[in-house]
Amino acid sequence: METDVLIIGAGPAGLTAAVETASRGLDVTIVEESLSMGGQLIQQTQVLGSLPSFYQPKRGFELAQRLRKLVEDTSVRCLLGHRVIGFYKDGSVGISDEANVFPLKAKKIIVATGAAEKAIAFPKWTLPGIMTIGAAQTLLNRDFVLPGKHAVIIGTSDFAMDVALQLSEGGVQVKAMVEKSQTVLARDTEKVNQVSKMGIPVHVNSSIKEARGIGRVEEIDIEQREQIMTIPLDTVCVDGGRSPILDVFYQLECSFGYQRELGGWIPQYNPFFRTDREDVFLAGNAAGVSSQGVLLVTGIIAGINASESLGALSKEEAEIKTTSLWKEIETLETKLDPDVWNARIRHVQNYEHPVLTDQFIS
Amino acid sequence: MDKTTIICRCEEISYEEIEDVISIGARRFDDVKRLTRCGMGPCQSKICSSLVAEIIHDKTGLPFPEIPLPRMRMPISPIKIGTLTTNSTTFSSVKSVLDEVELEDGKVK
Amino acid sequence: MHIKHHPILGEQLQKQVTIYFKDEPYTAYEQQSVAAALLANDIKQLGVSRNLVQPRGMFCSRGRCCSCYMTVNGEDHVRTCMTKVVDGMKIYPNDGDPQVRSESHGD
Repeated sequence: METDVLIIGAGPAGLTAAVETASRGLDVTIVEESLSMGGQLIQQTQVLGSLPSFYQPKRGFELAQRLRKLVEDTSVRCLLGHRVIGFYKDGSVGISDEANVFPLKAKKIIVATGAAEKAIAFPKWTLPGIMTIGAAQTLLNRDFVLPGKHAVIIGTSDFAMDVALQLSEGGVQVKAMVEKSQTVLARDTEKVNQVSKMGIPVHVNSSIKEARGIGRVEEIDIEQREQIMTIPLDTVCVDGGRSPILDVFYQLECSFGYQRELGGWIPQYNPFFRTDREDVFLAGNAAGVSSQGVLLVTGIIAGINASESLGALSKEEAEIKTTSLWKEIETLETKLDPDVWNARIRHVQNYEHPVLTDQFIS
Repeated sequence: MDKTTIICRCEEISYEEIEDVISIGARRFDDVKRLTRCGMGPCQSKICSSLVAEIIHDKTGLPFPEIPLPRMRMPISPIKIGTLTTNSTTFSSVKSVLDEVELEDGKVK
Repeated sequence: MHIKHHPILGEQLQKQVTIYFKDEPYTAYEQQSVAAALLANDIKQLGVSRNLVQPRGMFCSRGRCCSCYMTVNGEDHVRTCMTKVVDGMKIYPNDGDPQVRSESHGD
């Protein structure tokens, strides 16, 4: 199988990259492990506030539907239920549909693998009923299953606030939110107020000390200023933040840099969202964890520059478009958190000086 | 977190075991992995790598940019050997490990 | 518990199917993952860990952590958070490593 552009991941960034490339007449293939397009957007029922200026505010799943429609109007080949398992010596991509493995030869690859949730370890965190906050949200909004009756959320990010509200509205009693810092991490004060209106107690300067239960979690101990509070429950949602998914970049021998504000290790890339491998671009959370609005823009930039590298667009035009889209990222990301924007600028400036290049010698 | 807290869910490696190998010089994920089997189970360090980096940082003071990523090999996610050995039209180096296994009707000759 | 009426998405559970866990029938709906459908029936422990034999259940729901490994329709180590339910599916917990060396496996 051959294609001009292979896009790995059908989340928001992968889909905008697909539209940009396919609309310029290129042959585009998307590989997506799950059976639906939209990535993590499909279970986001909250209204996404900070979308690019050319989008109306909408709920996450509505945005996913819109992107899916845009892709379906093009000639993009969408391999749902397929995943990349490695790379062949000749550079072609090893793709599996679970029954078979086959090579796919792509002139350019856009990696949009997204980010993964990080864990938080505490005694007995392996008990059933303790899951990532994203898993709880998936159960609720994608599988239509109530994760439990009584839950505690470890973490107070904006995402944790969203899920706390969704769980409450869905019928889960959120007994507490636990934050080890001195203040709540969420920047959206309106959401924090909603959570407090719902009567969900938020404990700062607190941490989870231990979980207990036979065969499943039944209670946890919260430590606050050397006092122990025991809470009976059946669900613990841990919000350890997210970091980019890098396996594919690693196998492609890309270089990496470290930016804490963008989720830790991220592939090195230039203003055109190209990695130090000439034929490998990247987009979305894989290029640094950010808001959904920013993810869409990075997908567009990667798509435009992959198109340019295949001659489907002039260099001048690509540069003009890229510059104006970077302004869009600046607006969105500065509003989200100026530290994230500054880290992104630092990261792109470091393109010539990656921190981790010799990862195969260890 | 106490000493018995599991850090690697798959191989069930505790905080104490990781602490021990750091005390004898482990400074990156792959050191910890080779000394303890941490990250060698089915998830291939997808869950524990950030936890281990944090422990190395806490114990040694090494900044995070100096604690490299674990090595990530093919296959990127679990796959059936049967899938790898299917009669694909193009034989490839991905299957090199299995080159020596000859199959007949799905059974090893 | 299955969510019959979702506060934002409305009634989404349409096609009911029957799945079997340890040979007992349970109700599930098409589009649900195996791990989610079991949890809706209050089955949280999907297996045990290999060394310390401790209970394990769904953790990441993204096909990464492998804590939801189960035996589905005779196949071991299936990531049940990534597998959709099918009517009549036979599911068993991941309570130990599968037998790999046997006559039927070519050894």
